This record gives sequence, structure tokens and C-alpha cells, in this order.
Amino acid sequence: MLIEPYKDRIAEILGRYPEKRAALLPLLWLAQETQGYVSEEAMREIAGLLDLTPPQVFETVTFYSMYNLRPIGRFHIQVCRSLMCALVGAENLLSWIDAKLGLKTGGTTPDRMFSLHQVECLASCGTGPMMQINDEYYERLTQAKVNRILDDLRRDGKSDLASGPFMFPEPSNKSSESSCRTN
Amino acid sequence: MADMVNILVDGTPIAVEKGTLVIEAARRLGIMIPHFCYHPKIKPDANCRMCLVEVEKMPKLQTSCSTLVAEGMAVRTNTAVVEEAHKSVLEFILANHPLDCPICDQGGRCDLQDFSHRYTPTKSDFLDVKRVFQKEYFSPLIDKEMNRCVQCLRCVRYCDEVIDAKALAPIGRGSRTEISHFTSHQLDCEFCGGCVQICPVGAFTNRLSDYEFRPWMMKRADTVCGYCGDGCTITLQSREDELIEVISSFEKGRNSGDLCARGYFGYQFVNHPDRLTMPLVRQPDGRFEPTTWEDVLPLLAERFTQVKLAYGSEAVGGLITSRGTNEDLYVFQKFMRLAIGSNHLDSAARFGHVNAVEAMRRVQGTNRWTVSYEDIVNADCLLLIGTQITWTNPIAGLKVKEAVKKHGAKLLTIEAMQPSIETTSNIANLSTTHLTVEVGRHPAAVHGLLKAVFDEGVADNHLAATASGYVDRTRAAVSALPYPEGMDEATLRTIARTFAGSRRGVILIGQDLLQSPGGYEASVNLMDLLLLLGKLSEKGWGLAPLTEENNEQGAIEMGATADYFPGAASLDDAAARTRIASAWKESPPVGAGMRMLDMLEAARSGKLKAMLIVGENPARTLPASAKPAEALGRLEFLVVQELFLTETAKLAHVVLPASSYAEKSGSFTNSEGCVQKVRAGLEPLGGSRPDWEILSAVSVLMGYPLEYGDAAEILKEIRAVIPGYRVLGATPEPARVDRPAMDRYVGGGFAEDMASRYRATSNITQDSSYPWSLWVGQSLFHSGKLSTMAKGLLEIQKEGRLYMNPADLQRMQLAEGEMVTLTSVAGEARVPVGALGRIPRGILFFPESFKEAIAGLLTMTPDAVTGVPYHKQQRVAVHKT
Ligand code: SF4
Ligand code: SF4
Ligand code: SF4
Ligand code: FES
Ligand code: FES
Repeated sequence: MLIEPYKDRIAEILGRYPEKRAALLPLLWLAQETQGYVSEEAMREIAGLLDLTPPQVFETVTFYSMYNLRPIGRFHIQVCRSLMCALVGAENLLSWIDAKLGLKTGGTTPDRMFSLHQVECLASCGTGPMMQINDEYYERLTQAKVNRILDDLRRDGKSDLASGPFMFPEPSNKSSESSCRTN
Repeated sequence: MADMVNILVDGTPIAVEKGTLVIEAARRLGIMIPHFCYHPKIKPDANCRMCLVEVEKMPKLQTSCSTLVAEGMAVRTNTAVVEEAHKSVLEFILANHPLDCPICDQGGRCDLQDFSHRYTPTKSDFLDVKRVFQKEYFSPLIDKEMNRCVQCLRCVRYCDEVIDAKALAPIGRGSRTEISHFTSHQLDCEFCGGCVQICPVGAFTNRLSDYEFRPWMMKRADTVCGYCGDGCTITLQSREDELIEVISSFEKGRNSGDLCARGYFGYQFVNHPDRLTMPLVRQPDGRFEPTTWEDVLPLLAERFTQVKLAYGSEAVGGLITSRGTNEDLYVFQKFMRLAIGSNHLDSAARFGHVNAVEAMRRVQGTNRWTVSYEDIVNADCLLLIGTQITWTNPIAGLKVKEAVKKHGAKLLTIEAMQPSIETTSNIANLSTTHLTVEVGRHPAAVHGLLKAVFDEGVADNHLAATASGYVDRTRAAVSALPYPEGMDEATLRTIARTFAGSRRGVILIGQDLLQSPGGYEASVNLMDLLLLLGKLSEKGWGLAPLTEENNEQGAIEMGATADYFPGAASLDDAAARTRIASAWKESPPVGAGMRMLDMLEAARSGKLKAMLIVGENPARTLPASAKPAEALGRLEFLVVQELFLTETAKLAHVVLPASSYAEKSGSFTNSEGCVQKVRAGLEPLGGSRPDWEILSAVSVLMGYPLEYGDAAEILKEIRAVIPGYRVLGATPEPARVDRPAMDRYVGGGFAEDMASRYRATSNITQDSSYPWSLWVGQSLFHSGKLSTMAKGLLEIQKEGRLYMNPADLQRMQLAEGEMVTLTSVAGEARVPVGALGRIPRGILFFPESFKEAIAGLLTMTPDAVTGVPYHKQQRVAVHKT
């Protein structure tokens, strides 16, 4: 049940827009945030809230790759496979994850901790190879970093190697590593 | 004309209305620009790029399906550049197409096939794997083959824009987009078949006919659907006298090619193995023995003559279905009146439509609508009362949807079902103002509306001055009434105010109002409403009663009811009698006719000795508590003409096999009074014969020859009796209000029953032993018993379920499909339950077509004025056992 426990948040979201229908994406996001994916039941409930039919909601969910239609692991790893990252070794990144977790694209680890998907450009092209795990970015990845991130997450539920999504242009005090800078 | 625009298409000048699309302008010149996503029934989407054309002074090619004409525009549809563009769009589509035409049902009528032929692409520059969708089971009636899909979204847009079901969605993105219902669920929708028909390729096909045919192998006949009063034009496609499929064309008919599930998927009763094919005669031991027409016809003539001689003509009664053609109905009443000599005859129009016709005759002097479908579409305000329109009259419902969705008309609904979004349409979802009213209380709501007219001060001043007696007395009668209990006064006032303030308004009424107590008075009162607003005789305004069966209007107009001669003239109308007598060369009998219930009573009491029943099944239709079978069982001679061995046929002494609508010619008259041609698509099945032919043959042997060469000859005679009755063209001119009749009503006629018409109706009945209100009504997928012989419709609804609001189901801790016991004062029944969000809480709905399951529950009250047997509503208790 989505509606009962989140009444207030739903009311807040609905209050943002003059048209009910406009609340579709944020409500789907709420469903995914609370259940890890968008369930059939959630789609039906959201359809009911917005005067849409369930197929209309399903249509929208399938249009966006960021909505999951199946339960996924606690940590959703999305590896960028677009050109810039590919040039600096996105393929390697996938093999490091596989070596560490035995996890291939589209899969979920048996303990339901990690799921892996490849996605298109995440707008961090200057700091590839990179991946997004849940809402955090991890950039300029090496095998050692990947191993540490995955260990941190499994153990603590978070990792301080996470970087803000807005690293570029970088703050000047960390500029030594930067391959490109604006003066 | 000011709003015409002149353009050139391939050098040919044409003037078209402003706002016309280039593709349509070209079509008018006979130039067909290839297209996939464009369809005249839906808004342009311009997603397929197939319709590109060159427009002078525009740098790039334009999509002709979304470009409006402009003065002086020069369009070229056949240049090398255009040709090249079309070719490359096709190449893109074909890159992914499986090219499985040899096994595709669309082969031979497929746009992709036709365009590919035209451009003969023989090679492709694409080197990639084709997209492949796994085959999925989609639904019992519609098959889906997504590999053939060209992603034009016509199906999705039709289902949304026209039908308002929104049952289909494009899933995913890009070339991998596929059409789906909700996740992997099988399709749950209204099964109008529109997506199958509008798909330009074979991605959606009809499973009832899959792999059965090639289009060019089939015999075609344009005719009219035999289910409801909407009167849709359909095309029967048959092979070797088997009906293979029913299709329609958007250019044809009052329905402009739209159909409902009954029309599109409900045709297989025609070739049903249980159809009667030989006359049956009951033997002394009670068995039926098949016989020949040669043997049975003299028997019929002899027995009818015997009864007449022994007991008089008055001892014979007749009953006919209103599904027959006008020709059947006309010959039936003539047979009864001349060959038998009795006015005791009635038809299924008695179940409710007579209420509306009697009211219209009285107040406006017409026996039909004074508006047409066009007036519904062009209205700026529509008031629906007790119609359940999307289920009972789906195509009239589409006219309402078109007015609301396309033209922004206001929709006011006083209906038994509440708004609730499901993947079948629900008219209340489109309402501007909606009032949910339990079946049986619509007449009370009409009182409330009249009261609101005065309270809002919107009555017409001119009328108050010219007919002050009428207005004052109506005001006095209405003011004495309270607003009906449980109905929101503000809502009623809003409805009255909105309707009064509109430019053109039509009131539609339907079964829930007309087949419930007070149906006649409420119809008259609604005409009071139109009169008081000063609109009754205004163009575009009027009352539009919808009919349940396809030819109820015709049944009344052909004189096939106890109250009227042909032309819906009273039995005591001297001029009509003279006209009829001169056409018949003999005078019709004098004396009042017995109506349906009177005849059954007379049969029970022994006054009526013989009956001729044509296609009607009172033993099933009337509730068990009325004991129809017992009454019919007392008859000395009962003849039944039927398609199937029905409950009533089983009681007969002689059963005669009748032909279905698909096997005969003639005409049907739809709800709006449009007379349309019925054409045979098949030869009569086995030894069956059209009803009129049977009666005509018997009449000859009885010495009253009613002989006709064919149905057209009958229509000719009908025209002599009812001047002006003929098959109407594409847009019929509706009847006009008869001024003298209206003046008589306003001048005093209204007063006759003023007190009873404006009597406070019973309030909400509270009965703690029977807390639920059960309503038996028509569902979308069925119509009478006939539709339950159609395999396709059984696939979507195979049994009667007791529908209730999901919240009620939950409160009772019932699961869908679970059995419950219902009890009423009359008896009990056991049925499975179902959930439906549009049913209000505390209400139960049971589909009429399966009502034998609850026959024991229902009681019946006849209408004091019109003799309509009301039996569709009952207080019941639900027991979970
Ligand atoms: S209601 Fe059903 S049959 Fe009709 S168009 Fe929609 S999906 Fe197709
Ligand atoms: S199924 Fe047919 S109508 Fe629907 S998108 Fe595909 S080709 Fe077009
Ligand atoms: S049942 Fe009525 S609405 Fe449906 S196709 Fe037949 S005439 Fe049209
Ligand atoms: S290419 Fe990987 S983030 Fe843009
Ligand atoms: S028909 Fe014009 S773009 Fe599809």
C-alpha cells in the first residue's frame, strides 16, 4: 500500500501542480523510493489518484529507464556506457564489479544487496569511468576504489568515496588530479 | 464562401473549408497520399512520416496529415523527392517487419502491403538484426502480433480519443515500442474491436476468425446490426453461408464505422449449431417431432381457424420481438388483425419504450425524436437521465463523448453508476455535473429538476405570458414537492441552471428510467421541463429516448403493439382507420387490444385460447413470480417462431424455425427514427424462413392472403399506410414538434394527470430485512438472451455475476467469484459475486442476460397507464454462506 502510509507526502506532491496528471513522475518516484521499485499495486494506486487508467501509468513507467518494474537489490549500480566513459574503460568497470560480486548487467546478487544496470550518459563525462549507486555518484573509478566502495556499502550502508554529482568544474584545491581546468 | 480556401494539389485546383488537412483535401480529388498514423476519426499525430508532400515555398517536405490548407497553397504529391521520401520511410518500417503476409489475416487489405506494392522496394541498405517480440497471449478475442506493428499508435489513440477506454498503451521506446494493456495482464476492455479495425496492418486481428479467410474470398453485405437501437451499419463477410466476420467502414452509417462488442464480436449466434432448422410439432406423448413446411402450414391454418370458430377471434393473441424487421412486424400485425381478426397483439417495445412514445405523442405530437445524432454531437449541453449509455447504447454514447471531448459540450448526468476510472468507458467520468441516483428514483430526480427550474428562475417568460395556466399550475404542483430525499439540492439546481443556460441541449433517457415505475410520467415531465424552458420546439433541442432492442421504434410505428395501428395511430383514429382499410381492402378490427400482461392474464383465466409468439420469450423474460410459463401452459394452441428452442418455445405446440437478421432483407428503424436497409448476407439457415414469409404462407391457407413477392413490396404497402415511410439517407431529417398537439397539451391536456405526475414518489425504501438494492440491467457485452448464443461474447462474459462496489465486497469479506445467497420477498438465488468500482455502495447490479439465475427473486409491478411490466429492481439481502 502506497497511499495509506504516505498520505502527507502524496498530498504535498499533488499540491504542487494545477493538473493532477503532472504529479505522475514524482508519485512514481515516491513509490520507487519506498519500495525499491514500482509495483503493479503502486501503479494501480497512482492511476486511481490521478484519474488515469493503469495502462497509462505503465506506459510512463516504461518510457523512463530510471523506474524499475522489478524488485532490485538494496544498492542499484548504474554504470555509464556512453562514449566518454567507454573511452576511459567503462568495460573494465563492469568486469571489476563482476570480479568482486559475481554480478552481470541486469542481475542482482543472491543476498539482494546489489543490482547492476548499464545506462547512457550521466553527465559526468569528464570524470569517467563512473557509476551511480542509488543517488550517489562515484567517479574516476579504479579497481581498488570499486572494491572499497562495494565493501563500504555492504558493511556500513554508505561510502565516503561518493562524490557530489556536480564535481565539474572542480573546486581548485583538489585540482591537482584534474586533467582539464578552466582558469 | 468566406471560409473556403483555394489550393492546388498536383496542379488541380480545389476549394475546401478552412481548417481542412492537406491529406483530406487531396483525398477529395481522389489522390490518396500514403499514410499510416493518420485516420480521419482521430487527431493528427504525425508520427510515421509516410504522408510527406512538397509544398511550394516551404523548404522541407511537410506531413500532409498535420498541415492545414492555406490560401494559394500548391501541394505536390508525386514528385521524385516525395517518392524518394516515401520509399525511405517504407524502408525503415520494412527493416523490422517480419514479412509474414502469407499467414497474416490482414493480407489483401493491409496498408503496408499496398504501399510496398506501390513502391516495390526490393532491397534494403540496413544490415542489422530484426527486432523480435515474443508472442504473448493478449485476449480471447483480439490477437496481437507486435512484430507486424508499424507503431503508428492509431489503436492507442482510438481507444483513448473515441472510445474513452484508455485500455492500450505504447510500452517502451523507439523501435522497441510495443502496444500493451497493463503489464502482462490480458486485455480487459470494452472489446469494441476498434483497435483491430483501425490498425493499418495485421498487428491486431480478430481471433474469432483467425486464419479462416482471405478478404477477397468473402461475400459482403452491408446491413444493420440486430442488437441495440443505435442502428449501426455493419458489413457481413461470409463464405459458403457461414458468417466469418463483421466489419464496418468509417465512411458508412449512423455509427461512422464505430461498433461495440456486440456488433463486432457478437455475430456467431447466426451459425450456432442449436439453431432451429425444421418445424417441430408436439406429439400426443409430449415430444417434438420435426416436420416439413408442407405439413405444418395447413396444420397451423386449420388450428387457428378452429380456435377462431370455436371461441371467436378475440380468443387469439400475438406477441412479437422488436428485433424483427419492419416488414416482419408489419405483416405480423396485419396477420393478427386481418387473418385472425384480433387487436390483441403486442411487442417487446412494451418493456419500456412505449412509455417514451406515449409521452412524446401526448406532449409534442410525434412518435419519435425531434433531434438526430447530429444534434447530440452539435449540442453544447447534454442531460443524461437513467441511460447507462456506454453499456446499453454504446454508439449513441460515442456521440455524447464526441460532443464533450471534441466540442467541449457540458455533460450533466443523473445516472445509477458513479464516476470510476476503469479500462472500459464510463460516461459519468466525463460529466460536468453528476448525480448518482438509485434505479427507480430517476422520476424523483426529474421532479427535483423541475423544482429547480422554478427555484432558479430560469423558466421561459414568454410561455408564462402566453400559457399562464399551464405554467402556474405546474409551478404550484412542483413547489408543493420537497427536493427528493438523499439528492443534493445544489447539484439539482446546478444541473437545471446549466441546462437552461445552454445554446442547444438534448435530454437523453434510457432503460433505467423507462423500465422503472414512473417511467411514463417522468418522460412527460421532462417534456414539461423543455416546454418551461421554452425549448421544446426549438431546433436542436429535444428528448431522445434510447431503445434497448434494434427495432423497438419500428415495432411501435408498424402498429405491432396493442395501442396503435401502423403509423403509431390510436385505434380510435378514424382517419388512420380509413387509410388502413383502403390499403388493406378490409377494415381492421374494432375494440381495444390486450397488452402483453393482459394477454398472459387472459391465458391464465382461459379467455385467451391461442397465441402466436414471434421471437419473444416471456417465459424467461418475465419474473418467475409472474408465472408466465403457467399462463402459456394453459393455452390450447401456442405457436412460436424462433431461432432457438427457448423456454417459451418448449411450451409450444408448434415451433417454427425463423431466419436471423443476417439471412433476411427489409428495414430497421433505430432509436432516432432512422429507417435503414437490412440486407441478407446469407441464405436462410437450413429450413428456416423469415418471419413475414411464414405468416404470409399461413394467411394464404386461412383464406386471407397477405401475399408479397419480397420485403420491398411490403415496404411499398407500408408507405401507403404510413405516408412518407421509407429508407432514409445518410442524414435523416428529424421529426418536428406538431404545434396543434403541443398547444392542446399546454392548453389543458397537461391537467389530466397533473396530480399523479407530480406526486411525491416514495422516498428511499428502508427495509432492514432487505438492506440492498438490486438492479437488473443490460451490460455492455450482452443483449437479451440472443447474445448469450454468441461464442465471442461468452468469451468475455460467460455468466451472471452479482456486481458490487469493491469496498462493499471487502466489508463483506468476499472474494471475487465467491458464491452468495440472495433473498427477497419473492424467493432466493445463489450467484457468484464480482467487484466493479462504478457501482455505488449499497447497490447490487446483475446483468439482465443471465437473469434466469435470479428469476426467483424478482417481483413485478405493471404500469397503470402504459402496462409496462416493471421488474428490474428489487430489495434483497445478501448472505455469505
Ligand atoms: S476498448 Fe478494447 S477493443 Fe476497443 S479500442 Fe480499446 S483496446 Fe481495442
Ligand atoms: S498495433 Fe497497429 S494500430 Fe497499433 S501502433 Fe501498431 S500498427 Fe499502429
Ligand atoms: S449493439 Fe448497438 S451499438 Fe453495438 S454495434 Fe449493434 S447497433 Fe451498434
Ligand atoms: S559518457 Fe559517461 S557520464 Fe557522460
Ligand atoms: S500519416 Fe502523416 S505522419 Fe503518419
